Amino acid sequence: MKKTAKTMRIRSAIAVSLLALVLGAAPVQAATPLETVRAEVNKVLEVLRNKSLKEEVKREKLRALYGEMFDQEELSKWSLGRNWNKLSEAQRKEFLPLFQQVLEKTYGDRILAYSDERIVFDKEVPISGNRVEVQTRAVTKSKEIPMHYRVFRDKSGKWKCYDVVVENVSLVMNYRSQFNEILAKNDAEELLNILRKKVKDQKS
Amino acid sequence: MMRLLCALVVFATLLAGCAHGPPAGSAPGPAAEAPVTAVASYARGGNLETLQVAAQQGEPAGTPEGAADEGAGEDEFDDGMMEDVPAAEQVTIADPWEPFNRAMFTFNDRLYFWVLKPVAEGYSAVVPEPARVSVGNFFSNLRSPVRFVNCLLQAHFIGAATELFRFMLNSTIGLAGLFDPAGGEEIGLLRQDEDFGQTLGSYGVGQGFYIVWPFLGPSSPRDTLGMIGDYFAYPISYLDPWYAWLAVRGYKAINDTSLQIGDYEAIKDAAIDPYISIRNAYIQYRQKKVEERGAIGRSEPDIPGAGTPARRLRP
Repeated sequence: MKKTAKTMRIRSAIAVSLLALVLGAAPVQAATPLETVRAEVNKVLEVLRNKSLKEEVKREKLRALYGEMFDQEELSKWSLGRNWNKLSEAQRKEFLPLFQQVLEKTYGDRILAYSDERIVFDKEVPISGNRVEVQTRAVTKSKEIPMHYRVFRDKSGKWKCYDVVVENVSLVMNYRSQFNEILAKNDAEELLNILRKKVKDQKS
Repeated sequence: MMRLLCALVVFATLLAGCAHGPPAGSAPGPAAEAPVTAVASYARGGNLETLQVAAQQGEPAGTPEGAADEGAGEDEFDDGMMEDVPAAEQVTIADPWEPFNRAMFTFNDRLYFWVLKPVAEGYSAVVPEPARVSVGNFFSNLRSPVRFVNCLLQAHFIGAATELFRFMLNSTIGLAGLFDPAGGEEIGLLRQDEDFGQTLGSYGVGQGFYIVWPFLGPSSPRDTLGMIGDYFAYPISYLDPWYAWLAVRGYKAINDTSLQIGDYEAIKDAAIDPYISIRNAYIQYRQKKVEERGAIGRSEPDIPGAGTPARRLRP
């Protein structure tokens, strides 16, 4: 299987260089989903590995990288599913940053505890139309955790992440099950209340 | 090829099974509470492909159409981006025992924070990580018969052979399973995580409904039956007297916990409703495990919502 990863890497390298040839002076958008994710994940790893940075600074840098890598609106839409329509324009505006803060805090904590995982970039698998899943693995001493990034091409042509599938569990689908449950009994305002409280609790 | 064959068998089983009940993965039975049913019918109605499959399966004609009608009045969302949402991904499960399950969830949560975690932390302070990984390998090697039998039961012969070779190599050069040379870079025989719950799933048996057992955690009637089946193929089960068995089980739990401290906390912290989050994670995880049956290693492409008929049949 190592061989496959290697051939995949070579193959995608060839694909990228071919693309660059065809497009001449290749613009940024020409990057494949895998290359885009690889570059962004590597930037994250660089921040995490930099021992000279204080945790505050790291968090700030990670927040910027998150914004580069993820499309918060798309991620929120997928997390809410059909319930997206239950939110008014104003409620959506409030939902996006609230939800983003919840994610940043929890996953920030998690990856800041990062030690010596190696990330292996395996392959990209088309999902549909302009959606692609980039499959990676986090390799630690005791185990391997498959992590798949789902990306789509946004309006500017850049591949943006809208879902992460860790050990076969889709993040947005997991949140959708929770939002569904909450919105089955409550209105959108109550959901925002719950999120506001969650963010406040996380800060304290 | 093998995979295709298996898929066909499952496809046939599923079609045959439809006469008796809803397909695996959908919220079955009258027990499904309103929100769960709503989600399930949304999943069914959200995608034309699934809709047709549902119709073929001879479900009451009203159900999918009703769901479609309900969706028709709404919006940009469905017409726009939602058309390429793989509906097959939205897995739901009935939860008629929710009050009991929530109580057991709390029990297990306390058990983790009050007992398991402190003990595991003390243990990992004394025993270095490589040793704990080796203990994990040792127990994993002892579980080989379970994986081997289930590969066979799923007609997954390459998987069975893989498990057999792994067991032979790891029990010998791997020093009684303490190391995993078979899974290393040179040999590359990956562990085939098959259990009886997955075997039943591959035969088309649905999860049924959600159960949280004390100590054992998330499960379902299918996976509980699976656990009982696997119990007999697991050598540890035959330890005598019973307290030796209990001690070994307890030790294994502590060792396992010591290698994943922080995982549960992270899931819980990220959740808006931890109970729902873990319920959903469990069924997503198990569903994928059943669907992945037949894949050797990681080289097989894995396309969500497409591919084998078995996959498309599961709403």
